Amino acid sequence: MHCRSRILASKIDPHLTPSAGGHINCVRNHKERFCTKVWTKQEKKSTMSNNDNESDVEYSETEECGYDDYYNPCNDADNETMNQKKCDPEHFEFECLTVDQVDRLLNELVETLSSRLRLTPSLSKLLLHAHNWALDSVIRMYLEDSSQLLVQSKLKPEKPPVVKTLSKTLVCPICIMMLPKDVFCGIGCSHLFCKGCWNTYLETQVMHGVSTATECMGCSVMATEDFVLPLLATPQLKERYVRHAFSDYVRSHPELRFCPGPNCNIIIRAKENKSKRIVCNSCKTTFCFRCGSDYHAPTDCETIRHWLTKCADDSETANYISAHTKVCPKCQICIEKNGGCNHMQCYGCKHDFCWMCLGDWKTHGSEYYRCSRYEENPNVANESSHARAKEALKKYLHYFERWENHAKSLRLEEQTLQRIRERIQCKVMTGTDGTWIDWQCLLDAAALLARCRYTLQYTYPYAYYMDAGPRKELFEYQQAQLEAEIENLSWKVERAETTDRGDLGIQMDVCEKRRTTLLQDFLES
Amino acid sequence: MAATRRLHKELEDIKKSGLKSFRDIQVDEQNILTWHGLIVPENAPYNKGAFRIEINFPAEYPFKPPKIAFKTKIYHPNIDEKGQVCLPIISAENWKPATKTDQVIQALVALVNDPEPEHPLRADLAEEYSKDKKKFMKNAEEFTKKNSEKRPSD
Repeated sequence: MHCRSRILASKIDPHLTPSAGGHINCVRNHKERFCTKVWTKQEKKSTMSNNDNESDVEYSETEECGYDDYYNPCNDADNETMNQKKCDPEHFEFECLTVDQVDRLLNELVETLSSRLRLTPSLSKLLLHAHNWALDSVIRMYLEDSSQLLVQSKLKPEKPPVVKTLSKTLVCPICIMMLPKDVFCGIGCSHLFCKGCWNTYLETQVMHGVSTATECMGCSVMATEDFVLPLLATPQLKERYVRHAFSDYVRSHPELRFCPGPNCNIIIRAKENKSKRIVCNSCKTTFCFRCGSDYHAPTDCETIRHWLTKCADDSETANYISAHTKVCPKCQICIEKNGGCNHMQCYGCKHDFCWMCLGDWKTHGSEYYRCSRYEENPNVANESSHARAKEALKKYLHYFERWENHAKSLRLEEQTLQRIRERIQCKVMTGTDGTWIDWQCLLDAAALLARCRYTLQYTYPYAYYMDAGPRKELFEYQQAQLEAEIENLSWKVERAETTDRGDLGIQMDVCEKRRTTLLQDFLES
Repeated sequence: MAATRRLHKELEDIKKSGLKSFRDIQVDEQNILTWHGLIVPENAPYNKGAFRIEINFPAEYPFKPPKIAFKTKIYHPNIDEKGQVCLPIISAENWKPATKTDQVIQALVALVNDPEPEHPLRADLAEEYSKDKKKFMKNAEEFTKKNSEKRPSD
């Protein structure tokens, strides 16, 4: 019972993104296409009748291994949560907030500051914005020397404003019009301009997306929203100003990030600025909290940026070189890969081989899976620059090919998931094979597969930039281990039956363990 | 309308002030938005000649900054072959509507007199200027003598 309830809980975990395994197509002369169908009816029936009871037992046993700790962060007792914090290198606390919630959060800070220091809310807002919302340090600095703080924050002129003539009219220095004194206003510095000029100026600023950074027309004293808003002519302009100002506030707050998902209004809040995984609870976009780009563990923000730029620069060459089809190493039949698994089985000759190295798959199942490892040519230092360039390109292509290949596998496995879903729907509706619950472990496995393959994909840029040495050897060893287990899982997901749950469970556990181990050892916190 | 009134006033003030380093100001009566003038630098190697410039004011002036272009070729790290010049005071981000054209011209003259190799438009000249000042001075002087305008006599 204990196990079953945990499985159910894992289904609501937002961290699990859908994906699935693929299958193999062999293409003969690019015309005939044969598919090895996953889940054929006969296979299904035979396995069902043979292993049904047995696998249930197995399943329960595998649950004891505790991989469910991983995806069950909120469901467990306190001590387990503590435990999970320690052993999960990807653990990161964050919350997804709406615009209103963030607005309230910022307003609370503003109100605290304005009541403590008796400043207007709009001045408090700019003061906090200028100092990254560090309420305590703003209060401290203000109490030390209020004038210095305001001058430094460009909220007060360096010299007190000079009161000019007492005449009833003034000439606006912007439009050179002689106007009555009461149409003039300014930000508190000595610069006074007519309202007409302010209107035009502020409109130009707002249309250029400038809001909190709006300065006086004559010096660099900042304009507060109390000054700007009444001078903006239309509600649209006011609305635009408020919107831009809000984005500025969020950007200056070190704990807040906009979700990069398209049209998503969620704002993420996290206490620490680390390159950890965020999953938006609204649009499900997964990204790195620190740099905002796609999540990239174990690679760090800087390295992944280099790698992605490099790939963008070189992709054409690399794409040209890495063709989409390969030839079966045994019977020379032309094979198109349309599944995510790198464990290939030729439809024609039933030869099992690895898509990456075209070697026999049997050699991959053991400890000695070396397909992910790049063998550097030891004599390269003695060779000409041409040879070195060639070697550099070869090295890059080695990593790029694997990076691309896993990205492609991820996409293909997503298609497979769709097929699995349809199949489950069909089976459950017709009532032939099991209930919806019986099939869930397959969806969980597919989600875990996607997560593991994603990490595996991002280990390649990490390895590319690593210096040779024992640490790299350890990394590549762990990477190879992970890769081997992922391919096993992918193979199993593509072919699983409801009754394979035990076997699938073990494979999932092994995969996730390998992934966590690698991250624990190499993810910089 | 605001632009015209303001530019007439600024033109009048500049002509009255009699700047030594900016002379021969010509403005078409039909189009006050385009000014022509002659920059007369004081420092070597540019004090061997004078340089024609064109100032273009946008219709939205003074809410948007004017643009300046050199019409005379000049050997200068901050001015490129097309005559474009990088002057922070008239960049869109720094522009202040209260800034007057004579302040802009003074900033321009200061830049011509003392190049800023840290923010170059022509990297080759900036490198020469910082690494081999002698060679730069010689080249710039020759270039000025050959390409620039005659300096006014007074």
